[in-house]
Amino acid sequence: MTAPDDELGPESVELVRPYVITNGRGLPDRDRFDLITLVTASAGDRRTDRLDPEKRSLVKLCEGGYLSVAEIAGHLRLPIGIVKVLLSDLAEAGYVQTRTPVPPAQLADIQVLQEVLDGLQARFG
Amino acid sequence: MTQYLQDPALWGLVAGTPLAASVIYRGRRTSAKLRRQNSELENRHRELQNTFNEAVEDARLRAEEATKTALKSAMRTLQGLANEQQLVISKLQGKYGDQEILQDLLEIDHMNSQFGRRAQSVAVLCDGWLGRQRAVASVYDVARSAKGRIRHYTRVEIRSQTNFAIVSQVVEPVALVLAELLDNATSYSAPETTIDINIRTVPKGVCVIIDDAGVGMNEEEKARASRLLSGEHPVGVTELGNPPQFGFAVIGVLAARYGFSVSVDSASPYGGVRAVVLLPQELLTSMPEPQNPTVTDAAAPVDGDEDATTPGGLPKRRRRGAIAIVPQTRSGEDRGPVRSSEETASIMGAFQRGTQSGRSADPSREGYENP
Repeated sequence: MTAPDDELGPESVELVRPYVITNGRGLPDRDRFDLITLVTASAGDRRTDRLDPEKRSLVKLCEGGYLSVAEIAGHLRLPIGIVKVLLSDLAEAGYVQTRTPVPPAQLADIQVLQEVLDGLQARFG
Repeated sequence: MTQYLQDPALWGLVAGTPLAASVIYRGRRTSAKLRRQNSELENRHRELQNTFNEAVEDARLRAEEATKTALKSAMRTLQGLANEQQLVISKLQGKYGDQEILQDLLEIDHMNSQFGRRAQSVAVLCDGWLGRQRAVASVYDVARSAKGRIRHYTRVEIRSQTNFAIVSQVVEPVALVLAELLDNATSYSAPETTIDINIRTVPKGVCVIIDDAGVGMNEEEKARASRLLSGEHPVGVTELGNPPQFGFAVIGVLAARYGFSVSVDSASPYGGVRAVVLLPQELLTSMPEPQNPTVTDAAAPVDGDEDATTPGGLPKRRRRGAIAIVPQTRSGEDRGPVRSSEETASIMGAFQRGTQSGRSADPSREGYENP
C-alpha cells in the first residue's frame, strides 16, 4: 500500500538522529580529540558485530591507516562532536588508537634540506 | 318463582344485563381500538426513534468526518514544518559540529522529533499519511529511530541486532508504532527502570519485543487494548477520551493498514507489560550494502616504503595521494575527466573542422583553418 505521490513529503533526513547514536551523552572534553587527531584501528582481530552500525563503520574506516577526526566525520556524515563521542568510546574499549599529529617542524628535516641545497650548489652553483 | 318476578332487583338485573353487555362490548371495542392506536403509536415512536438515531449517527459521522478533515490538513502542515525544521537542525549540526552549541542542537533535535511524532499520530487517526519517505532500513535502526522519538529515550536499551531490514514503505509506520509502544512503556513505569527491546527471528518473520518493568495492565485495560490493536474497530478522534489516549488507537490503525500485528497481552518478565510487534516476511528484506563505503583503500598508509631513496642518496618523495573524500569515484578513475555535452559537441565540431580542412587544404596555405 503506497500513498499517492502528492501525499509524500520530500526525502527526509537520516532515520537515526545523532542524539540517539550517542544515547544522549554529553560531548567529551575538547582537548581529548582535535580535528586533526589521527585515528587508526587497533591491531588484532576484534569482534565488531556487537557494536552499533556507526561504530562498526568507523572502525572499518580506520583499518587501512590513519584518518583525521575531521575526515571520519566527513565519511560518516555525522557532526564532529558525535564522532568524538564514538571515538572516545572506541578508544576506551581498545578498538582504535589515536595519535596526535606530528608537529610540522619535525617534517622539515633540516639535514635533508641542507643536502638538497648542497647538491644544487654543487651542480649549478 | 313468581316472587322473584316481582322482585325489582330481577327487573333491574334484566334491564341491566343488556346494558352491561353493551357497556362491556363498547368497552372492549374501545380498548381494542386503543390497543390498535397504541401499537400504531408504538410503531410511529419506533420509527421516529430510528430516524432520530440515524440522524444523530449521521450528524456524528459528519462531525467526525469534518473534524478529521480539518485535523488532517492541520497536521499535514505541522508535519511539513517538523520535517523542514529537522533538515535545518541537521544542517546546523553539521556546521557547528565541533562547537559546544552542538549539545543544544541535539536537544532541539530531540524535541522536534517528539513534536513530529505527535503530529504523525494525530494524522494517522484522521486517515492521513505519515508524510516521510524512507529507504530500506535495518530493524535495529528502525528501533533506534523509534527510540529517538520519545521523551525518555535514554531509558530504552536495544539488546540485539539482526541482519533483517524493513522494506521502505513500512519503515516509518513501524518506527511510529514502536515509538508509541515505547512511550507507553516509559510513561507507565518508574523513571529509574529501563525498557528493553529484543529483536528475535521467528519462523513467521521478526518479532520486536518491548519489555517494561511497570505496573502492568488489568484485565479491562488489556481488553480495551486488544480491541484497539486489532484495528477492526477504528476509533474516531472524538472517542479518545480526556485526556486523549492515542497510543493503541494509532498502533491499531497502522498495523491494519500495513499488515503486521501487535499484541500487549503477555506479561513482561520484569512484571510490566510485554509488547510484541510481529513483522511478517512480506515486510522484510535483507540489508542493502552499507552506504558508507569501506574506504580502507582510501586511507593513506603511512608506513610503507617511506625510506626509499634515489640513486643519489636523497630520500624519494613519495606521492601520498590526497585521502579520497569521495572514494566512490576511484572506480571511475580511468574514464578521464567528465565533459559536459556542450564541450563534447564543440570538441567533435573542432575535430570535424580539422579533418575537413586537412582534406581540402591548399598545401600552400598550411595552417589555414576554416572559420
